[in-house]
Amino acid sequence: MKKLKQLTIVLLLLAVTFGLIPAPIMAQEGAACDADVIVQGDDWLSKIADKFLGDPLAFPAIVEATNAAAAADESYAQIDNPDIIEIGWKLCIPAAEAAQATLGENAVAAPTDGTVLTVWDIWTRGVDGQTIETLDREFEAAHPGVTINRVVKSFDDMKATAQLALSSDDGPDVAQINQGLSDMVALVQAGLLTDLTPYWQKYNWSERLAAPLAARNSVVGDGSAYGQGNIYGMAPTAEFIGVFYNKEKFASAGVEVPTTFAEFEAALETFKAAGETPIMYGNLDGWPAIHTYGELQNVYNPDQTYLDNFIYGRGDVSFDQPGNVEAAAKLQEWVEKGYFTQDFNGIGYDDIWPLFSNGEGAMYITGTWISANLLEGSSADQIGFFLVPPLEAGAAKPIVAGTSTAYTIRKSSPNQDLAAEYIDWMMSDRAMELWLEAGLVPVAPVESASIEPDTLMADMTQAWDQILATNSMGHYLDWATPTFYDTITASLQELQALRITPEEFVQQLQQDYAAYLAEKQQ
Amino acid sequence: MLNTPKARSRGYKPGERPWTACLYILPGFIIYAVFVLWPILDTLRYSFYEWSGFSSPSFIGLDNYIKLYSDEIFRKALVNNLWFIVFYTVFPIVIGLFLTALMTRRRLPGMTLFRTGLFMPYVMAMVVVGVVWRWIYNPATGPLNQALRAVGLDALARPWLGDFDLALPAVGVVGTWVQFGFCMVLFIAGVQRIDEMLYDAAKLDGANEWRQFWHITLPGLRNEISVAMVTTLIAALRIFDLVFVTTRGGPGNETMVVALHIYRNAFAINRVGYAAAIAVVLTIVIVIISVGVLALRQKWVED
Amino acid sequence: MGQTELTNSTPGPTLSTGSRRLGRLSFKARDLPVYLILLVFLLIAIFPFIIMVFTAFKTSSELARGAFSLPEVWRWSNFADAWTQARFDRFFFSSVIVAIPVVLVSTALSVMSGYAFGRMTFPFSRALFFILLLGIMVPLEALIIPLYHNLRWIGLLDTYWALILPQIGMSVSFGTFWMRGFFAEVPQDLVDAATVDGCNSWDTLWRVLLPTAMPAITSMMVLFFVWTWNDFLLALVLISTESLRTLPLGLAFFQGQHTTNVPLVAAGATIVAIPAIMMYVAFQRQFIRGITGGSIEG
Repeated sequence: MKKLKQLTIVLLLLAVTFGLIPAPIMAQEGAACDADVIVQGDDWLSKIADKFLGDPLAFPAIVEATNAAAAADESYAQIDNPDIIEIGWKLCIPAAEAAQATLGENAVAAPTDGTVLTVWDIWTRGVDGQTIETLDREFEAAHPGVTINRVVKSFDDMKATAQLALSSDDGPDVAQINQGLSDMVALVQAGLLTDLTPYWQKYNWSERLAAPLAARNSVVGDGSAYGQGNIYGMAPTAEFIGVFYNKEKFASAGVEVPTTFAEFEAALETFKAAGETPIMYGNLDGWPAIHTYGELQNVYNPDQTYLDNFIYGRGDVSFDQPGNVEAAAKLQEWVEKGYFTQDFNGIGYDDIWPLFSNGEGAMYITGTWISANLLEGSSADQIGFFLVPPLEAGAAKPIVAGTSTAYTIRKSSPNQDLAAEYIDWMMSDRAMELWLEAGLVPVAPVESASIEPDTLMADMTQAWDQILATNSMGHYLDWATPTFYDTITASLQELQALRITPEEFVQQLQQDYAAYLAEKQQ
Repeated sequence: MLNTPKARSRGYKPGERPWTACLYILPGFIIYAVFVLWPILDTLRYSFYEWSGFSSPSFIGLDNYIKLYSDEIFRKALVNNLWFIVFYTVFPIVIGLFLTALMTRRRLPGMTLFRTGLFMPYVMAMVVVGVVWRWIYNPATGPLNQALRAVGLDALARPWLGDFDLALPAVGVVGTWVQFGFCMVLFIAGVQRIDEMLYDAAKLDGANEWRQFWHITLPGLRNEISVAMVTTLIAALRIFDLVFVTTRGGPGNETMVVALHIYRNAFAINRVGYAAAIAVVLTIVIVIISVGVLALRQKWVED
Repeated sequence: MGQTELTNSTPGPTLSTGSRRLGRLSFKARDLPVYLILLVFLLIAIFPFIIMVFTAFKTSSELARGAFSLPEVWRWSNFADAWTQARFDRFFFSSVIVAIPVVLVSTALSVMSGYAFGRMTFPFSRALFFILLLGIMVPLEALIIPLYHNLRWIGLLDTYWALILPQIGMSVSFGTFWMRGFFAEVPQDLVDAATVDGCNSWDTLWRVLLPTAMPAITSMMVLFFVWTWNDFLLALVLISTESLRTLPLGLAFFQGQHTTNVPLVAAGATIVAIPAIMMYVAFQRQFIRGITGGSIEG
């Protein structure tokens, strides 16, 4: 009995304590608007919030104040979905203090006291790690009582361990998961990831992640189809394949940045004739060839719809296409002409880029994830970037492009909202800015003022803007089927060793793809 | 190992019951049963299921085994495993015997140093072995090609781990490098047990050192040789780390091995049930080969 | 291999012979070819290790000039950096915490069960022995996912126990195989004498057999240590908390983090390799002797 009494008192005290907090907010809610705003053509809520309240994240306060005002005065708009505001709506901007209080209320609503948010990420590289640490500390500062428990794993280790961990009740709250069939889709199928669609709307993430990129993170709820459906992951940095080049060597050889594929090949020939390695290349690990081939495929088979269908397993398309054969033949031709580093099949990826960043070779075809590493070399200020040009200048051509692996939330995590807030923070302007400083291309457009002209970063962000503007995002071919990675790496090594013909190469991949489609049908 | 040793006898004091033996075995066996045997039985069970490792498994009977029958990569991997026996078992035993013959010919100063040094590769972590050898084999900057070019043998400088014909031997040589010290140490110890009088008698008969080795040392080492064979055979058939840290099975599937195929299926593409079926088949192969070696040895001992 | 310390009071079953080639140490000119051949093999064996250690003392730019040269200055700073930056101090601690119980417990359990299998007759002994042997025959890569689920069910996942207990299980599998061979070889007279003296099986093992078995046990311990110390896959899958990671895992991660800084990675690799090598050097006399006893006689 005594214990029960004590418990009751404690509960009562708690109720009073927490009960008191909302009281002043309630009082303020009725307060008059500080300003009224009529929605204009190019407005969105966080922009308005930024303008009037100095914080784009303060938009929920506007929503709340407007809805409260609408209840009393019908001239104000009723906002049901913060993502959708219409021109001509009258919005109520609360006073700054009132806005703070409203936001504070939201913060209280999340379980922040003594909460540990466990996040598994793959930012192993030093500079990347510092970026994350900075963001984590700032997140903790903004959420008193919350501690981020960060666990860093290499890409391979994450792949080997994350899925088991996400099926566990004490697994990570947030984990960076590779997109694709064997990872994100399999996890969705097993019901282990949180559907982020509500947060997508709440945080207006469509401004952060372009539609084709969102498709990469989208799965139909039961895992039956990929590339559509609910959204399960958000990724902060853009990664796309292109050509890093040595400006000094281009200048002294009189080579301009090519705008057509013919010019590109002419440049390769020029360097070859001059005794320079045209393309630095190391394919011992197998996967770099996927990107080299992928870009050639996009040159000779630039049909975006076909590519989307192929990757997402729609419409029963085949890999056996003339363009794909042509691309394979071109790859072999380059090998035969000696355009690649000698003995590239025996050189690891991590052995080759340090050579390029220290001035060896004229060009290097790889993804932008390596840019920050390249900037550490002795020829860093000589490195520029361009996209592999199409057959005809200005023609549409997909670029093998995507994002870093995606932040996802474990479905059984007790900290869903907090985890979503964390992901939103990772997608914030602040995060984008830090990624830019760290030398990676942020996935969302950033103010170009912070980018120095004529730098590698300027080249890359410009390329990314172009990809975003034309919606020409190609795919990593290894996502086509669960076994495609192993098949394509092995087949490409054979192709480049001239052990199989381009036709055989295409048929090997088609065989894998057809088997997958057949299995999927069952 | 599987056969009953000749010297076996009762170790009981009168009055002790056979179940006394259980008391000796039980503590170790319980830990083994819970943390090794149970997962082994699970592996057997899951080989009849389709299971991703994190979703709920569904029973599919023998489908995994049927699929395995037509799995070309598995077949290629199994053949490669057999090739690795040459590098893991044959070479290390031959080199081990050769070194043993050299080191035990006469008592020479400095042998402790040699023994320690020669065993060192076996002690190093595979992660380290992989880092170092990938670097040695690097065609552009590695010391191997540098050395070949320095002495004018440019033609022999190859992309080693990336060469379709040379990758397996290149990885295999690393395996030999790791294993030979183990065999040597085993044999040196064995030689110490051979009765010296046999050699004295042979010397009186005028047998040269080669004949002594062939007729006395080699037969005297048959137990050690069979232990080395079984251990290294199992190592060759279970090989995983070495390939994982050097080539990951490439180029093409030239260095693909069964355990790597298991790993890929289980960890990369979530086919844990299928991986289990491969593991079961590999285990059966290992058991058959081990038993075969032991039967051969038995014959040798009896001769 | 000095013979003097081998004359135990107990007539060792395996060590009483073999003094044949162990005459006085002397060096003759005709031994020169032998030394040359051995030297070649020694260089091949330790060359990668030497290169690694040299590299660990260099700077990146020094390394670019050639792998074979001695470092200009013996820079210990790489080791200090690896030790602190990579949190190797923490990983080292984890490795020790895991390795010590594994080696001690596995040894004790292997000796006991090897003794039972080697010297006692009981029902199903051959079947049981075969079941134990499965532990060294089944590929670990398949076993580890069921193991993960079992450990999670027991609640030991992501603890040191998750590394220690399975490692003991696998070590016992090999250790029983190893010790059984040794005990089976012990001359019957020795055991009979003990029985006549009124020893029960435990006393026989403890007082009579154990002293002669020490070399075999030592060598087994070194193997246990090397395997546990170098284990990667168990630690990768069963441990997620960073502070519980062991050295090989830490090294693999460190390597991914510092792909450009080869000397730093080499320093880390050296730190991982040295304890196992020291362990072997320290025990090597015993080891060589013991390996004889541990081999399986038929």
